Amino acid sequence: MYQLLLTNRYLASRLTPLLAVAAVALCVALVIVVVSVMSGFLNMVQSSGRTLMGDVIISYPVRGIPYYDDLVERLEANEIVAAATPAIETWGLLRMPYPEGDAKESVKVQVWGIEPEGFAQVTSYLESLQWTKPPKEVIRHLLLDVIDSNANTLIAALDGPTRAALLQHTAPDSVAGMSADEIETLAVQLDNPAWDVRLRIVALEGVDAFRSTVNDAVWEAVVEVDPRLGPGTPTLEAGATLMRDGREGIVTGLHVSDANRRGSEGQTVIARDGYWWLPRFDVTLTTLPIDARGGILEPESISLPVANEYAAGVYLIDQTRVFVPIDLVQDITHLDEARLVDPDDPTTVIGTHPARATMVLVRGQDGVHPTQLRGVVDRIYDEFASAHGASFTPPPQRGLSPGLGIRTWEEQNASFIAPVQKERQLMQTLFSIIYVVCGALIVAIFWAIVYEKTRDIGILRSIGAPRSGIVMIFLLYGLVVSVLGSVAGVGLGWFVTTNVGSIHDGLSDPPLWPAWLLIGAGVALLAGGIITGRRRRMLPLLLGSYAMVACIAVAVGVILLRESGGMTIWDPSVYYFDEVPDQVDWREAITTAIGAVIASVIAASIPAARAADIDPVRALRYE
Amino acid sequence: MSDLVLSARGLARTYHLDRVDVPVLKDCSLDVEDGEWVAILGASGSGKSTLLHLLGALDRPDAGTVHIGGMELSRASQRQLDRVRAGQVGFVFQFYHLLPELTVLENSMLPAHMPGGVGASEGRRRALDLLERFALGDRLGHRPRELSGGERQRTALARALVNAPRVLLADEPTGNLDATTGAAILDVLSDLHRDGLTMVTVTHDQTIASRADRVLELTGGRLQLDDEAAEGADSKAVVESRRP
Ligand SMILES: Nc1ncnc2c1ncn2[C@@H]1O[C@H](COP(=O)(O)OP(=O)(O)O)[C@@H](O)[C@H]1O
Ligand SMILES: [Mg+2]
Repeated sequence: MYQLLLTNRYLASRLTPLLAVAAVALCVALVIVVVSVMSGFLNMVQSSGRTLMGDVIISYPVRGIPYYDDLVERLEANEIVAAATPAIETWGLLRMPYPEGDAKESVKVQVWGIEPEGFAQVTSYLESLQWTKPPKEVIRHLLLDVIDSNANTLIAALDGPTRAALLQHTAPDSVAGMSADEIETLAVQLDNPAWDVRLRIVALEGVDAFRSTVNDAVWEAVVEVDPRLGPGTPTLEAGATLMRDGREGIVTGLHVSDANRRGSEGQTVIARDGYWWLPRFDVTLTTLPIDARGGILEPESISLPVANEYAAGVYLIDQTRVFVPIDLVQDITHLDEARLVDPDDPTTVIGTHPARATMVLVRGQDGVHPTQLRGVVDRIYDEFASAHGASFTPPPQRGLSPGLGIRTWEEQNASFIAPVQKERQLMQTLFSIIYVVCGALIVAIFWAIVYEKTRDIGILRSIGAPRSGIVMIFLLYGLVVSVLGSVAGVGLGWFVTTNVGSIHDGLSDPPLWPAWLLIGAGVALLAGGIITGRRRRMLPLLLGSYAMVACIAVAVGVILLRESGGMTIWDPSVYYFDEVPDQVDWREAITTAIGAVIASVIAASIPAARAADIDPVRALRYE
Repeated sequence: MSDLVLSARGLARTYHLDRVDVPVLKDCSLDVEDGEWVAILGASGSGKSTLLHLLGALDRPDAGTVHIGGMELSRASQRQLDRVRAGQVGFVFQFYHLLPELTVLENSMLPAHMPGGVGASEGRRRALDLLERFALGDRLGHRPRELSGGERQRTALARALVNAPRVLLADEPTGNLDATTGAAILDVLSDLHRDGLTMVTVTHDQTIASRADRVLELTGGRLQLDDEAAEGADSKAVVESRRP
């Protein structure tokens, strides 16, 4: 087919068609990047709705559901229910350990009282726990904490050689030239030995230095005080059980503490070189219990050791939610079991208020759709409610108690998910304009090509090419250009999307080498410009100087960006998540590519029709 | 009458400029027999190209008829006209009109791909034969811009002949060439004529006319027998006297 031959040659021998290919590629890549990030965002929103939540949520805020243990049992008896667990949600103030001094910071938190084992069955709680072991930079602080709080125990465990070593280590001048025996004797007889200070000094040099200086008895004493310094994963277990040092503890979201920052490689950086690692400290949780009539009761405060931190990946959650044992929350919200007394005679107990939970979270077996699960939960709940209907404090009934909700996680998060869905739709609609842009570019570029090829078209007609044959040339040409452009665009879109994290990090902490590279390129262009300038050619000179100015401007931009501390486009506090989505939405990518091809071919038909209408006699008349 | 390849009757063609009508052809009639070489002489602007375009089905007359191989062009559909241009006539132009992106071989094969052409494989065979014959056998892969004027015109000639047309229409085929190269092209044309090719050449150059079987003159939009040119010896003497 001669059209194919011509298309092929036109493509290879001209710059203009490459321009068209680039235009299509850029359009396609732009849509792919934007829509992929949006889709990824939506996916994250949706799947995040599920983390730390389960598939179906029964909720009855404030007053809570009584006999929830029975409800959980009934739910778990059903074969499509994998697990169920109660929880209480309330609000509170968390007094942080920082800053130094008396005036501490407080943050508003959403408190979830949970049964950690059950909660871990229903949600991905365990996987979300941040610390398996204390991070390296924290260990020294933990060691110093132990020395501070348990100095006497440690000093009691010191043996002679360790004392001698400590002395030698902390006051080398005073023992200069003495034998080992002499030093040991001196160490034992020391007037004011200040062993705790000496231990601190060694500890400051690091755990390894400390460990190699002290005797085993001292180290065992240290590990006994803080097992997190020893073997195993006591930090993780503390989070999993909500217990630290034998006390009930709290697990806070990674961004509840201002001390945690995201590092340039996505790692968590703890302020003051690990000093403000929250699981070192206790925090104070204060809640305002609300009574059955909605009145506010006395505030309740409780001091809790931080057992661990968690990261659900959803900024909004990681920034506000904390987990504590359910019985603690029941206590402070007055949802615990209580005796019911005769109002006329407070000494007569007429019954008990059972403990209550404001939520029961349910996880279905793998493959069970949340909507199907919700149907089952509805039915089980009704049975449960009627079974306890005659009790003194009956559970709320569906249809009768407006506050009661049995929802899938999607429904529960609808207010959160729906706007993102709408946004994505809006984006998709707005970006379908890209087809128009693509088409317009093709029309303009092809129009110019037809103009340039007028004589050739006349020649083809003179040797017998029908109009349809001429139309075919340009349609084919449009097809080839747009397919090449789409493929390149998909490639570019894929590259940018999958590297969006590094690109983003590059922007927020720009490296210097591109600046030097660009300045080099600018200088090279300048030199080239001076050389070609002698030939007095306008276009290369102009393009060269534009490129040079652009190179240097971008280089200066990079340097300025560095100076100003980088640019953060994806601010996690604005976008809920601490990572930019980097998965290509292939369905959208393919649709976009095909759409661009269709738009281009349709657009190409306009200049193609003009080409077919060219009068061969006129086209051939002049050279 | 049976061996008429080309026959035109009462051709008229008027160009319409803004408000002025330019009647270029008024009443042109012409019969070309099989194997005949007809030369049409005319001053620049006399309408020679216009006439050739009408004869070659590239343009439609305002009045008159053209028959090629028994087909009446004014009654023919656009598709039929396309096929006539592809298979029945071969055009050669003053400015060669080769496609710059294609090689010599590809240019000369191009008409074979058209509807009504001889097809790719036959076209290739014929094109190779013709190019060999025109001494372009070692230039097959060259682009037109790498060729001299004479070589370009011989490539154009090969292209015009690749579908074995009934008639070759040549519009000032030597008009853009120096005398020697032009003479070489004329030799090629004479050669083709000897082999039985029917040709109509238009020119303002007596030299071409002198080689033709019959010379017509286009003046005032009409064709008439040219007495002067008919006496070939005389005109040859005129031309030769002009050469340095
Ligand atoms: N498309 C056109 N529109 C108007 N005038 C034309 C057009 N084509 C040719 N002419 C005029 O018609 C006359 C004949 O042109 P042409 O056939 O090219 O003559 P020749 O080939 O003998 O030089 C010229 O005067 C030319 O200016
Ligand atoms: Mg002419």
